[in-house]
Order: sequence, then C-alpha cells, then structure tokens
Amino acid sequence: MSVLRMHYLLLSSCLFFLPGCSSVYRGMKKTDADASCLLKFKPAVRKVLYNTTVDVVGKHLSGLLLIKAMPDSSTRLVFSNEMGFKYFDFEFSAAGVFKVHYILPQMDKKAVLTTLRKDFELLLMQHLDTKNAFLLKKDGLFYYGFPQTKGNNYYITDSTCRQLIRLERASRRKPVVMAVMQHYADGTPDTIGISHANFNFTIGLKKLKQ
Amino acid sequence: MRNILLALCCCGYAVTLQAQYPGYKPVADINIFKTQFAAAAQKMQTIKADFVQEKNLSLLSEKITSKGKFLFKKDNLVRMEYTTPFQYLVIINNNNVFVKDGQKENRISTKSNKLFQQINRMMVDCVQGTALANTDFTVAVFESAQAYLIELSPVAKGMKDYFKNIHVILSKKDYTVNKLEMYEQSGDNTLISFLNKEMNVSIADALFTIK
Repeated sequence: MSVLRMHYLLLSSCLFFLPGCSSVYRGMKKTDADASCLLKFKPAVRKVLYNTTVDVVGKHLSGLLLIKAMPDSSTRLVFSNEMGFKYFDFEFSAAGVFKVHYILPQMDKKAVLTTLRKDFELLLMQHLDTKNAFLLKKDGLFYYGFPQTKGNNYYITDSTCRQLIRLERASRRKPVVMAVMQHYADGTPDTIGISHANFNFTIGLKKLKQ
Repeated sequence: MRNILLALCCCGYAVTLQAQYPGYKPVADINIFKTQFAAAAQKMQTIKADFVQEKNLSLLSEKITSKGKFLFKKDNLVRMEYTTPFQYLVIINNNNVFVKDGQKENRISTKSNKLFQQINRMMVDCVQGTALANTDFTVAVFESAQAYLIELSPVAKGMKDYFKNIHVILSKKDYTVNKLEMYEQSGDNTLISFLNKEMNVSIADALFTIK
C-alpha cells in the first residue's frame, strides 16, 4: 500500500504545481493520432477484485471493489465494505451506458454519481472514439486526447506508446483528475490510484488474489 | 364453516412456514426455547472461533469469500479480524466501533450512527443470546434435528431498508451461533459461518481495547 501512497503524493504534487490561469495544454504540438496503440492498456476485465480505500474531504472508507464482465458484455462494479455492506453497484453497458443498480442513500447525490461515473469511464477506458482522437506532444510524452461532453480525457504514454505514464480527466485548461494504472497482469492493472484536483478526494485500488 | 376455514388457514400458514426453511419447523413452545437459550447464554463468558464469510452477489452470480478470527467476551465485546484475502480488524466495545484497514485506523461512535448502532447491537445480541429481546426486530424461531433458526425481521427504519431478514443458526447442543445469514432487500446476502469454536477460554481484555 505504500506504493499507492507514493502515487498519491506524486499525483498531488503534480496537481499542486499546475499553473493557475493558463492552459497546461497550450503550446503543445497537436497532430493526428493513431490511438490504437492504447488498446493494450484498456483493462481486459473478466473478474477482478480490488482492495479499495477512499479518502474524501476527511472521511475514510475502505472495502472491496469487484469488477466483472457480464454475459451480455456489460461491466458491473460493486463496492462493499469488508463486512459485506454494499456502498454501490454500477453497470456500464456494452455501449457504455451507465446505470446505477444500487447506491447507499447517503451517497445518492448527483455530484457523487457523476464524479464516480467519470472516474470509472476514465479507468475502464470507455468512449475511446479513435476517430476523434488527437495527439499532443510535450517533454517526450505523448498525450492521446479523447473529447468528452465537457473537456477531454488524456492517456499519456512514453513516445513509443509502450508505457502508460498516467491518465488525466481535464477541462480545456487543466487536469481535474489524475490517475495511474500500473503493473498489468492477466489484462488488468495491479495498482490504481486516482486523485482529484478540485477537492480532497483520492481512491486507491490494489488487486487481491482470491 | 368459519372454523373449517380457520383451520385450513392455520394449516396453510404452518405449511408455508415449514416450506420457507426446508428441514425446519416452528418451535412448539417459544417460552421453553427462550428459557433454555437464556440459561445457556448465562453460562457463556467467552467464545473464540474461526469464521468464513461469504458475500453472495445474486445478480452477478458471484461470491466473495473471506476468513478470519472471531472473539467474543461478555458483555458487549466483539473482535473480528479478517486475515484472508485482506487484512481488516473490527472491534465492537459497547457503544464504540474501531476499524483498522491497512494502515488507517478509524473510531466510530455508534451513538452518532444509527444504522451502525443497530448492526452492532444485532451482532452482539446474536452472539450473547439476547437477540430475542431486541426491539429492532420481530422474531420467529424454527428448529430442525440439529439446530435452531432464529428469524429476525427488521422493523426499524435503516435496517428495514437494507435487510430483508437475518437468520441466526444456533447449535442445539450448546446454543452457540453456527451461522449468521444476512439477507438484503436487493437479493444479495452475507453468510458468516463460525468454526472451531472454543467456549469459556481465557481472552485478554486488551484485545478489545479501542485506542
């Protein structure tokens, strides 16, 4: 778990030092992208269980996140605490449509649902419309951008697209969420870290062997 | 005619109850059961056991299994330490709950969290034999050759929204809890089986200390 903490610190410090006004994406060279190289980083979920910690504005939650591919090609995400009490049960259909099967009444707020939906869309690499993808280059890093309803999702790789450095959910000017997915095994990352820029909200996931 | 209808209704009700839990029938005299349960619980000072927890997600046809060590000490002290496949510790000490996951420690006052207070009380009541007096539930008791099944149906809001009912399976031999089955309104359930039980062994108070 110390690895996760290091990721938080790294991500937090990245966000802290971002300029306040000008766009961090300004001045990057924009070219057409062949984003197909990213597909190898898309989590190939059959069934995976993550030990999960959530820290949000001073509150701490922990539990287990089960992600499972269903026979109808949808993906289910169920988060419960260690003793079995469920926090939420979400679904992304094969077409990427988001559905809430259950959420704890205390968490049932539009802002919470929107934030979680967008975070999981970023991680599961939903809506990777390669036709509209664009590529920005900066400091030897390749930013593969995918326009969203508001802003863009970026998947940032090294220049050879062999390593996924980080993921960003961004407004037009700056990242609002930064994430890492590392140490892939059996098609899914072993370690995932998510950090939000606008408020104190981090999620850490560590794959469990059952 | 009215008597015949009444008799038919009663028979139908009894058949329904028996069909509800195969192998079980309603206890003949609940007062005798209560007396025997209370007497056995009176003698019980501590319980030490292993536990296996199964979380069944019905719509996903998926099961999450975890294991650990369970300790109970009279009165109102419970310690559940999950060891596989993750590390997690929960201590219930009267009205306080302490949890530790990984490095984070969290103290929760059940006085300020109604649902946690109800779950806490239900767990302690099930183990120390006072579940029948818990007013958060209506209670029905069934028996088979080897076990009693106490059906707890929540009446309190919060619990009622989440749980359909809770079953406590007691050994007929010593009235200790073999299994706790928590059925959710969603169709999911959590089953906790207690194995290798040792009763009235010495357990240090320090194991239930909340920092």
